[in-house]
Amino acid sequence: MAMDSGADGQSHKAHRSRHSGASAKKKTKAKNKDQNSDQKQQNPKAFAFRSNAKAKRLQSRAVEKEQRRLHLPVIDRSYGELPPFVVVVQGPPQVGKSLLIKTLVKHYTKHNLPDVRGPITIVSGKQRRLQFVECPNDINGMIDAAKFADLALLLIDGSYGFEMETFEFLNILQVHGFPKVMGVLTHLDKFKDVKKLKKTKQRLKHRFWTEIYDGAKLFYLSGLIHGKYPKREVHNLARFISVMKFPPLSWRTSHPYLLVDRFEDVTPPERVQMNSKCDRNVTFYGYLRGCNLKKGTKVHIAGVGDFSLAGVTGLSDPCPLPSAAKKKGLRDKEKLFYAPMSGLGDLLYDKDAVYININDQFVQYSKVDEMGGTTNKENKRDVGEDLVKSLQAVKSPIDEKLEKTKISLFSHNGRKRRKAIFGDGVDHSNLKSTDEENEGDEDDDSDNDNDEGENDRSNEDNESCSGSEFSDGDEEDLKSEDDRSNEDNESCSGSEFSDGDKEDLKSEDGMGNISKWRASLVERASKKQNINLMQLVYGKSASTSNTSTNEVKDDSENEESDEDEFFKPKGQRAKNSIEGLGGGNINTEDCSKSTKISELKNWKEEEVYESIRDRFVTGDWSKGALRNQMSEAKTEEDDIDGDFEDLETGEKYESHQKDDSSNGGIQKEDDDAIEERRLKKLALRAKFDAHYDGSESPEEETDVQNGGKFHRSQANDSGYYDKLKEEIELQKQINIAELDDLDKTTRLEIEGFRTGMYLRLEVHDVPFEMIEYFDPCHPILVGGIGLGEENVGYMQTRLKRHRWHKKVLKTRDPIIVSIGWRRYQTTPVYAIEDQNGRHRMLKYTPEHMHCLAMFWGPLAPPKTGVLAVQNLSNNQAAFRIIATAYVLEFNHAARIVKKIKLVGYPCKIFKKTALIKDMFTSDLEVARFEGAAIRTVSGIRGQVKKAAKEEIGNQPKKKGGQAREGIARCTFEDRILMSDIVFLRAWTQVEVPQFYNALTTSLQPRQKTWQGMKTVAELRREHNLSIPVNKDSLYKPIERKPRKFNPLVIPKALQADLPFESKPKNIPHRKRPLLEDRRAVVMEPHERKVHALVQHLQLIRNDKMKKRKIKEEEKRKEVEAQRAKDEQVLRKRRREERQERYREQDKLKKKIRRHVEA
Amino acid sequence: MGKITYKRLKGSQNMRQRLLLATLKSTPVLIEDIHADDTLPGLRPHEISLLRLFEKLTDDCLIEINETGTKLKYKPGIIVGGSHLVHDCGVSRAIGYFLEPLILLGLFARKTLVIILKGITNDSKDPSVDTFRSTTFPLLKRFGVPSEGLKLEIKSRGVSPHGGGEVHLAIPTVQHLTATMWTDEGMVKRIRGEAFTTRVSVQLGNEMIYAARGIFNRLLPDVYIASDYRKRSEAGNSSGYGISLVAETTSGCCISADTTVSYPRGDEEEDIEGEEKKELIPAADVGEKLASVLLEEIEKGGVVDSTHQGLLFLLCALCVNDVSKVRVGKLSPYGIETLREIRDFLDVQFVIKPDPSTGTVILKCWGSGMKNLSRKTT
Repeated sequence: MAMDSGADGQSHKAHRSRHSGASAKKKTKAKNKDQNSDQKQQNPKAFAFRSNAKAKRLQSRAVEKEQRRLHLPVIDRSYGELPPFVVVVQGPPQVGKSLLIKTLVKHYTKHNLPDVRGPITIVSGKQRRLQFVECPNDINGMIDAAKFADLALLLIDGSYGFEMETFEFLNILQVHGFPKVMGVLTHLDKFKDVKKLKKTKQRLKHRFWTEIYDGAKLFYLSGLIHGKYPKREVHNLARFISVMKFPPLSWRTSHPYLLVDRFEDVTPPERVQMNSKCDRNVTFYGYLRGCNLKKGTKVHIAGVGDFSLAGVTGLSDPCPLPSAAKKKGLRDKEKLFYAPMSGLGDLLYDKDAVYININDQFVQYSKVDEMGGTTNKENKRDVGEDLVKSLQAVKSPIDEKLEKTKISLFSHNGRKRRKAIFGDGVDHSNLKSTDEENEGDEDDDSDNDNDEGENDRSNEDNESCSGSEFSDGDEEDLKSEDDRSNEDNESCSGSEFSDGDKEDLKSEDGMGNISKWRASLVERASKKQNINLMQLVYGKSASTSNTSTNEVKDDSENEESDEDEFFKPKGQRAKNSIEGLGGGNINTEDCSKSTKISELKNWKEEEVYESIRDRFVTGDWSKGALRNQMSEAKTEEDDIDGDFEDLETGEKYESHQKDDSSNGGIQKEDDDAIEERRLKKLALRAKFDAHYDGSESPEEETDVQNGGKFHRSQANDSGYYDKLKEEIELQKQINIAELDDLDKTTRLEIEGFRTGMYLRLEVHDVPFEMIEYFDPCHPILVGGIGLGEENVGYMQTRLKRHRWHKKVLKTRDPIIVSIGWRRYQTTPVYAIEDQNGRHRMLKYTPEHMHCLAMFWGPLAPPKTGVLAVQNLSNNQAAFRIIATAYVLEFNHAARIVKKIKLVGYPCKIFKKTALIKDMFTSDLEVARFEGAAIRTVSGIRGQVKKAAKEEIGNQPKKKGGQAREGIARCTFEDRILMSDIVFLRAWTQVEVPQFYNALTTSLQPRQKTWQGMKTVAELRREHNLSIPVNKDSLYKPIERKPRKFNPLVIPKALQADLPFESKPKNIPHRKRPLLEDRRAVVMEPHERKVHALVQHLQLIRNDKMKKRKIKEEEKRKEVEAQRAKDEQVLRKRRREERQERYREQDKLKKKIRRHVEA
Repeated sequence: MGKITYKRLKGSQNMRQRLLLATLKSTPVLIEDIHADDTLPGLRPHEISLLRLFEKLTDDCLIEINETGTKLKYKPGIIVGGSHLVHDCGVSRAIGYFLEPLILLGLFARKTLVIILKGITNDSKDPSVDTFRSTTFPLLKRFGVPSEGLKLEIKSRGVSPHGGGEVHLAIPTVQHLTATMWTDEGMVKRIRGEAFTTRVSVQLGNEMIYAARGIFNRLLPDVYIASDYRKRSEAGNSSGYGISLVAETTSGCCISADTTVSYPRGDEEEDIEGEEKKELIPAADVGEKLASVLLEEIEKGGVVDSTHQGLLFLLCALCVNDVSKVRVGKLSPYGIETLREIRDFLDVQFVIKPDPSTGTVILKCWGSGMKNLSRKTT
């Protein structure tokens, strides 16, 4: 502030560095250190690898790191202008999402946004546009938002910490391709304590890192100033966003999709009046993203369902890049933002109308003006003002008027409205129905014939106006021009053309007035070599930008219009056979061979075989080579002329021909070479750019540091990788070159609508609920359905229960899955793959393992991520994501099995054969299981033979009862017992329920939770039912009765033969013991003495032994105590030694590392 | 969920391309008025055989034919492929008729396809199995099909009327086909061929070779035509002879022509060798005429012959989302029909530009981005 212009000459005091004091000391120290380290490095020998193995290990590690860095290069097929990047702002409620968007919009456009509704497109730089979307807070909205986000800003309330929404959203993002993520901490002004703030930041940051990757960006917004985030911080955030790169995600690069930023109901009002609940026709507007959209593509509207497109139209970009937009005048302001749902942007372009948004005050002003009737002001009036007034004066809405006027003009043929593109910026002459203007606008260079034709047509009534059909682009422009500038609406609608008209004009009706210029053309056309082969092949071309796709396509619809005949040159008449093929017989035999042996030239004649001499290596090589090049060059020439089909080009074309022939092939050759070189150069440049960008990324930089000196040597070796990249780049350049060759309409036909285009999609028969419950805060996602994705079938996925979900998942419990664009409820059957490849059903998912989940639903290609949710309600506190998965394969039949055990009991036992009952219910069943392995409880193995014969197994029949079926004859490896139970173990197929229920959340009020099929548990809870118990499954105490064996009976005959020893002795039981057992023993006196002495001696000995034992015990204890003491001391010493050693080693290591790093 | 919308078509024309494209794109089709006005209405035996072959290769496909056989409902399944498959192609059309769609189907199958085909190996209506080996396989390699897996072995030859030939075919699977820029037709550097005889004298084969060489010798010295003499079990059930020729160019294009002479089958066959029902065309004439056919194909220009145009267009249309550019000679009716079917099913249009100076046509297309979805991920 103090500085003024006068202070220029004032010299500032230079900085004086310290020569003494603490800081000076520090500096000198640092300097010395540096020098020391430098000196150290000068001795290379000291820091060479001492160990061979270590060097090898280090090197291999470096190589591995290098390789791990490489990724398969992804082909980016989006050519031309990129669509705006979608920035999704997500966070729990009350965290400041809308405010952030508002401040960012304010930062970019200097406009205040009243409220954030729907996507907001802004221009953020010369080459970059952004589209801000606020993520709704329910899980459905979050899932949809994750599917279109290019960058997700996760807003986190710093004062509260993380909330589950953030983690849920992160998980959803991960499953659906993981776009770029940046965290933003808000509410940091709630902290009073600086230290606490710092700690919280640190904690949150680290938690964030564990979830994404170390070093993920977390942005801090320190607080609010006047209810806004600080300018400087928003500026920084904007800078972060503007330098961000968005890697292509595989699902999105293979599917076209649209984030709808404008949405209209275009149902005829009468129909709505008749029945307010009739199916509606709606239009969606948005930038095409992902990949090119072909016309026949079906689309899925998230939360509504699948629809086929009734019409696609490319519109002019409502928010063009500053580089692309052409300023028409100084008054034209650059349109920096576009947000129709938020009510921003003053002009809305539709395919057949322009809507103008006027504030109330302006309306008032112009009305007053009108009433006042100031005549002298009339001349000065602005064009825009005029337009607004004329629009206001209109009594009936534009739609109706258009309808009417159309009828009055073209009443003789009921035609459709012509859709148009506001495409190219070429400002064309407005072909009004007045003659003078037309004359004035004639191109000077057009020859007489052309003039004539033009006049003819312009002298006609309005219909002739539609005769200006030779260039589509012009028409479109003309239309837009008319729409804006014409005062009277008759002429406005007069410029509406339709295909039908064009066709009419071409056919007999129009013949009268066109015949003149046609007649003059005949000769020329017959000379012309360039007939439109495409028309011959594909019938009449529907080469307009919009299409209506028919389910039932009638092939062979090429009626031969006279025009075709007319344009056919004499030389190509032979092609008539082609035409004939399409028209008549629908049952022609299909043969790929077509040559008829009968009509051949005589190749023995010299001039005949000499004519193709140059096609052989024995011929003239230069001529042969010329053939290729010349033709190539010529085709390019054709392209240029090919767009025009009238007389003018005939001349031009001829001249080109002459040029070619005169200049000869040499120049062409050069051109060719130049062209090729140019392509290669482009490819190289692009590759270099890509590489350069890559090395700029922070990850790589760190790698460079870590990899040390190995990095450079490795870079040369990655030749394969480079080659791959080069190939991709070359292919891309070829594609661009080839596509640029084509004119606009053909290009549209060939590659569909390109990404980055602003499209209008019309969809018919949408349920009226979509209109009724439409909420601009919930963005609509329209995704294109890829190849084979509209079919339903079984999908096998590899699923893992989310570790934060508290329960395991039960088979056949309905879950809501999100695959690709879709969300639907389905009933999975979980399974696991056994060693032998069998898929065994699981009743519940494993707790910490992956398992297979098979379910029925619309198919998604393999490797698509799947997200499973069970509860959609918002008030559920816990984590709502229950599992994540990815699709392994899809097939039409489920092959999951479960174990089945058939139990049977023997009813008759022969030696090793037994008849088993109760295992099967019929003889047919037995026949099915012939040869199956069975087993008894005791482990005897056997085999099912056949159904038992009646006379053996069926006792009941003999008694006059019904023959019992299902008794099987089985053989075993040993004889089984009657008490044995026989098992047959088998596998039975498990049916996966063919059920899926699309989530129609857009067809109901947003706050209502969607209710689908309920789980069994939920139903039980609702109806207060207890869990049914199978009594047999309950555990009971096992009762084992003591087994009673029958006494052993030995047959008499056998007994007689046995030796006496083994014979059972039948001694009767005595009442009194034997005499031997009863008598007492009396000792002699001497014997008694001896006995007593022995007893004494024994007593003494026992006592002695006892004493000795006690003594030994004491001794042992003493020794043990001593040993323990010693041990302790020893251990302590050892530990100290070890510690010392480790410390030493550590030091050494550190030193070495430092040296290596240095 | 339950309702299937069928694409409605009419007539038996282009049955092969329609079924093939319907299977690849998994679009259900409903074909009506199949030979409805003929004296023998309904599907022909070879068409039924073709449907059986498709059923064999796919999982859970649904084929419904009405009583008269004039209406066909086809809901394609997932292409599974697999080995140890055997198919009897019957005797109404040659194996070449089945091979053309089979090759493309095999590329997009879940497992590598190994199949034994039985029937007529050589025929004058369809490209012979020799042509497939010599010309079609190199064509596939252009589109990124690995050459190791491609195999076609001729175990025995069979000609019409009774067939009896057997070939073993192996086709690898691919993730996707790569686009190609193939406009350089080059110059013919050599001509190769094979002349076969079944149940007739060896001398006939040599006559054909001699006659064919007689024409080529004035243009090119590098001509080698092998003779393949089959007898007993290897020779099938009927007698005949034929020749197939391939011209290779400096840029690696193969241009082929082939023909077979045999006794026509029973009553229905009249058109091809109509004038001489009893006697066959002499071998020398066959050789000479076929050599002329080949020269005519060369004269037409293009990177493939007229027989392979359809296959070439299909391959281009099934590529990844890149631009393919090919040059062919005069568009053959079969090629044009194929282009139309491609437009109807895959929504891929070709830019077709004639090249007046050489009489060739340059076609350009943006591939449909077909991917092998049935392959299992690990």
